[in-house]
Amino acid sequence: MFPMINIGPLAIQAAGFILLLSLFLGFYLTGKFSTNLGTHAEAIENGVLIGVIAGILGARLGFMLKNPSLLLNNPLNLLSLTPSMLDRSFGPLIGILAIIILAQKKHLPLWPTLDTMTPLFLLLYMGVHLANYANGNAYGTPTGLPWGISLWNATRHPVQVYAFLLGAALLLGLLIHTKMLKTTGFMRSGVLFNAAMAGIAMITLFTRAFTAEKRLLGRFDVYQLSAFALLLGALTLLYKRAYPDKQRISAIISMGSNVEPQVKFSQAEKILSEQFRIRRRSSIYQTEDVNQRPGVQPFLNRVLEIETALSFPELVTQLKAIEKQLGRIQGEKTRVALDLDILTYGDDVFFRADHHIPSPDLLKYRYLVMPLAEMSPDFRHPANGISIQEILYKITDQAQIIRINEVENGIKG
Amino acid sequence: MNKKSFISVAITLALICLVWIILTPIFFPNTQADAVGTAPHRGFYAPVFSLNTPQGEAHSLSSYQDRPVLIFFWASHCSICKSVMPGLEAVYQDYAQQGFEILAINTTNQDHLSAAEAYFQSQGYTFTMLVDQDGSVSDQYQIHAVPTSVIVNPDGKISDLIIGSGISEGFLRAHLDTLFTKGGQ
Repeated sequence: MFPMINIGPLAIQAAGFILLLSLFLGFYLTGKFSTNLGTHAEAIENGVLIGVIAGILGARLGFMLKNPSLLLNNPLNLLSLTPSMLDRSFGPLIGILAIIILAQKKHLPLWPTLDTMTPLFLLLYMGVHLANYANGNAYGTPTGLPWGISLWNATRHPVQVYAFLLGAALLLGLLIHTKMLKTTGFMRSGVLFNAAMAGIAMITLFTRAFTAEKRLLGRFDVYQLSAFALLLGALTLLYKRAYPDKQRISAIISMGSNVEPQVKFSQAEKILSEQFRIRRRSSIYQTEDVNQRPGVQPFLNRVLEIETALSFPELVTQLKAIEKQLGRIQGEKTRVALDLDILTYGDDVFFRADHHIPSPDLLKYRYLVMPLAEMSPDFRHPANGISIQEILYKITDQAQIIRINEVENGIKG
Repeated sequence: MNKKSFISVAITLALICLVWIILTPIFFPNTQADAVGTAPHRGFYAPVFSLNTPQGEAHSLSSYQDRPVLIFFWASHCSICKSVMPGLEAVYQDYAQQGFEILAINTTNQDHLSAAEAYFQSQGYTFTMLVDQDGSVSDQYQIHAVPTSVIVNPDGKISDLIIGSGISEGFLRAHLDTLFTKGGQ
């Protein structure tokens, strides 16, 4: 038991301190993960902060609505700066609602955003249980086991510690799997979040058995039943995210060339249309070499949206084969027969040393953004939700670009 | 992991969890009954004590059975205590007739009795001040900081234990309103 931490004359309640610490640590990890994955770190951090504030205000408002006489008696009660008069169900509801509204306003993509926030959720879960341990809440049933703790007249299961440690193990698993939040491999968006939720549900379901104060529904504990529902939901979503209907995946690829580009483009498109369904294509744009190397011919570029049943690594291999077939020489940077790059793959966000989807070039080069803005004016970045117009507005690349032909921007092939 | 092995792993996990839920009431039968002891924690019976007022009049918690009681641990050097006490007095004025009692226990072993008494009288508080001369009741309630407020329901069980400024006038009013009008806890 360590309910107070004394720092000189300051006495801080350990439980509150632990919760703040877990929020802070979770914030740090989520920020780091967000930067690596390319999700909207700023919007996510602001969203969580605003959600916390809205949650506290909502909790106070809920308490006042349930006790209207207080408000009539003294309206200033609404703004009273005490950590009480908070309604525990209304508060979180308002907080979550605020976060959802903010996320919608910023067009944050659901699964990559939730994946990014997974370390925060896990740390908060751990923090809540450690805080309960610190103030003796949610204590365990009596036990004769040697690691039982003496609390409230009995030797009890340190059930809060069980939940904390299992939560820590889950976080450790996440850190190992993502190589310290540096990569997600080819794991599809949403898999990480739903796997973590399934883990949290199982930990809760397991540890609640050792909790003394149960909320019973018939013979069963309400928390265990809710955890079971959460587990079923998380496993279903996990399955849907991990094994999607492959036929439907649409990918945006870019095509570039500065050696007989018109010829290479028509040859490439012919091969592509034999292997994939081409949904849309942009006009062709001419641009100077972005690195301004002397003697390098200008490039032609265009983007296409294709529909594929191939997995991401298979698609990479396939496109490389087409590049080679049309005379691309590996390592040759100034004379490029044909360059085919994957810009987006469905709504997925992959981060690996050699592949980063959506391609980071999408936020860098005008020769990709301009054709994409023409082909899909309502495009939004799958990781951070930023619109193509905003990307175009923010881009710093000033290379000269000329649209050199018009094609029908419609469904072909 | 391929699709098929995922499905079998998922179904196995769900089944194990279901079995665990069903076994829980068998392994841990009706543990609610466990919380009938005495302890300074929500849900337990409030530890009983008997203390004197500065004038030497003895008050025992057991004599307040069937009445809601706020046990308020405070010290005269504690500014948060002094900031909430006027609110407590206001609530006491409104609810004393319905049986509500406040026992303001001064943690005298960490205070000066004369200073505490002088403050208490200067504010004209009408609720009961008790003197915990050797700190034994503070120890009994595992008090780590003042103010600590223990709200005891008419059944003698602790309904809330609040450290710090969380014991506001509004919170107390809402609690007593619920208690008196709905007869619940």
